[in-house]
Amino acid sequence: MCKGGLVCWLSMGCGSGGCPIPSSTAQSCSCRASQGAPGARSRPVAMPPHSDAGPVAGPPDGGWGWVVVFGAFISIGFAYAFPKGIAIFYKEIQDFFGTSYSEIAWVSSIMLATTYGAGPISSILVNRYGSRPVVILGGLLCGIGMVSAAFCTSIVQLYICVGFITGLGLALNLQPSVIIIGRYFLKRRPIANGLAMAGSPVMLCTLAPLNQFLFDNYGWRGSFLILGAILLHCCVAGALFRPISADKVSVKTQSIEEGKEILKEVTKDAIDMNSPTNIHTETKTEEEEERDCCEKVNKYLDFSLFKHRGFLIYLIGNVLMFLGFFAPIVFLAPYAKHIGIDEYSAAFLLSILAIVDMVARPITGIIANSKWVRPRIQYFFSFSIAFNGTCHLLCPLASGYTGLVIYSVFFGLAFGMVCAMLFETLMDLVGASRFTSAVGLVTIAECCTILLGPPIGGTLIDTFGDYKYMFIKCGAVMVLAGTFLFIMNYYNYRMLAKEEKKRKAKEEDTKPVRTENEGRNNWNKEHVQDGPELEPLREEQEGLKKEANGTNEV
Amino acid sequence: GSAVKIELSCRLADKYSYMKILQVTWKRGNETIKHINKTENSWGIQLTISENRKLGSYTCTVTGEEEFSVAFHLQVPQIEGREKPVISYEGDSAILICKSHSYTPIAWTWYMTNGSEQIAINDSLMLDKYIIDRTDANVTHLKILKLTKEDDGAYWCEAAYELGKSKGKLKLKILSLMVPLKPFLAIVAEVVILVPLILLFEFYSKKKRAEDEKEFDQIEQL
Repeated sequence: MCKGGLVCWLSMGCGSGGCPIPSSTAQSCSCRASQGAPGARSRPVAMPPHSDAGPVAGPPDGGWGWVVVFGAFISIGFAYAFPKGIAIFYKEIQDFFGTSYSEIAWVSSIMLATTYGAGPISSILVNRYGSRPVVILGGLLCGIGMVSAAFCTSIVQLYICVGFITGLGLALNLQPSVIIIGRYFLKRRPIANGLAMAGSPVMLCTLAPLNQFLFDNYGWRGSFLILGAILLHCCVAGALFRPISADKVSVKTQSIEEGKEILKEVTKDAIDMNSPTNIHTETKTEEEEERDCCEKVNKYLDFSLFKHRGFLIYLIGNVLMFLGFFAPIVFLAPYAKHIGIDEYSAAFLLSILAIVDMVARPITGIIANSKWVRPRIQYFFSFSIAFNGTCHLLCPLASGYTGLVIYSVFFGLAFGMVCAMLFETLMDLVGASRFTSAVGLVTIAECCTILLGPPIGGTLIDTFGDYKYMFIKCGAVMVLAGTFLFIMNYYNYRMLAKEEKKRKAKEEDTKPVRTENEGRNNWNKEHVQDGPELEPLREEQEGLKKEANGTNEV
Repeated sequence: GSAVKIELSCRLADKYSYMKILQVTWKRGNETIKHINKTENSWGIQLTISENRKLGSYTCTVTGEEEFSVAFHLQVPQIEGREKPVISYEGDSAILICKSHSYTPIAWTWYMTNGSEQIAINDSLMLDKYIIDRTDANVTHLKILKLTKEDDGAYWCEAAYELGKSKGKLKLKILSLMVPLKPFLAIVAEVVILVPLILLFEFYSKKKRAEDEKEFDQIEQL
């Protein structure tokens, strides 16, 4: 029937595109290499183990996706709000163990460092096992960490239980939640991201009074015990993360593997015809082995991202931005008290910030999804960072409580805008399949500057005795980061447009290879307005075509 | 010790300057103070405070068509206790802290309430139960070890100054481990029910979709 590993495709009675049949007695069928071409109704035999049966036209952009957004809302909310929320207990714990304030503050730092630093571990696990098991494991770790913290007898044990174990659990919550949004959404992804990231301020507003209530009624040990149980709700969120790798992810890897199979078949045939090329096969297999080894590592954590222009731009810009991102929030209340505002009004400033933040994130998501902004979302992101920086630069001019309220409102707005698009822009640059590794690598790089930001701000305040230098430093750093991102993304967009032109020119030259990949290209064209995120797929296709061209010439 | 000289004066507000003043009296309790220094529109007294007896409330009363009164409270620095109780658990230890902000007391004493009596806590007698930390003169820590239900109640920290003593009240509430355990188990039970429920729902909706697909296939083959 069909030679060389190609499969017989029955073109009738099987939905559009045809499907493979195992028997060799069919009379009318065409020999093809692909087993799971897009657009075809998938049979259980041909598909990877953890997939949904159903049409493989792309991410759902709705339906169960909104339930996943709700789960991510909870998960992300806990990951960001929890370290800030437990600061209420610090005074009591400080008195209980007889430590200084800075020793207690280490708990938060260790927790934050672990949440960001364990990003790559999270990415590797998600690459291997998918989002759901990782989030459930994360929830269990958080619960265990807090419950054991309730029985701690020294500050070092608190560092381990609250800082390290709970921090690790939160890291295993944060990354997979962001990743799975990229799997479920494409056209409405900015909205989904904005809604999910809104979990952080909502959880913070809920956790703050809840923690106070628990503390007043159960003391810090009882509160930690109950918080451990509350953190188990991350497992519930994880249960909602139905796996959906049947779509873009596996299709892309499949099409790449198909291409390689075609290549192997074509080379094998070429070698069979010309026997004195045995040496070539050996060198070919050696190269293949090397490539396989790198591929194996890259399958777990894609280090080839460091060659990706968009990724590098994002990394440098964000690492710079985080140097001035969190310090103003940490010092807003102390600054207010320093000017002479009473404690409750100072705390109210943070509440205003949280409420404006809560509203700003989904609205930013909606704006970022509109057809004017979506193709230029990187500019919008750079603008919000620069806007944030300008707010900080203008803060020292704010006099009195009214001025600070206005500052809090604008700060909340800018903060929400940046956070809502934080992961959306990364997804936009590297694409959903490589996002898993990208987010891990980005968070571990950001880890350092996030930890450095507030202490540097604190040193500035202590040295000069005035808060305004801290605000100026944060504002300057963020305006710089915003400008950098703006310029570099302009450059990136131009280079992408050039590469697009080159690829189109090449496509017209390589028509015979094109018929094999016809199905794939049709699917690509449907999504062509989604911008640079399909670049990796196109680049790899280009690479394959080049190799195919090369062997043809042989 | 050293005595403190202090001058108190009271003045009538401008809008009452029309009023004819009949009498100005300075009193401490029922005792009238005789020497009043009168300036153009204020009346003052000079005091030398050298002992606790001289502290208290000094009132200035201006009598005319209407009578106005104002009081000065001279006292030793007040010690703040805690409004909300300190919560701890049986078998655990608790720390009660009192601070005196600007002034350094000569000595601190702790009292616990037994019924209606206040009993001083002697930490040298009961070394394995009470530890009083006296490293910082402005702050006192009372650490109570091996808590039981009987340790529940009100505690007083008393700061002794040259001119007198002042007390702050703190409350200690002892809970058994069962108390937070109940909400904990309730929440864990809720999670343990929800997670399988969600997974089961997904399993059944998948099965239903697979059955629907099989029917569709059979129809196609026909």
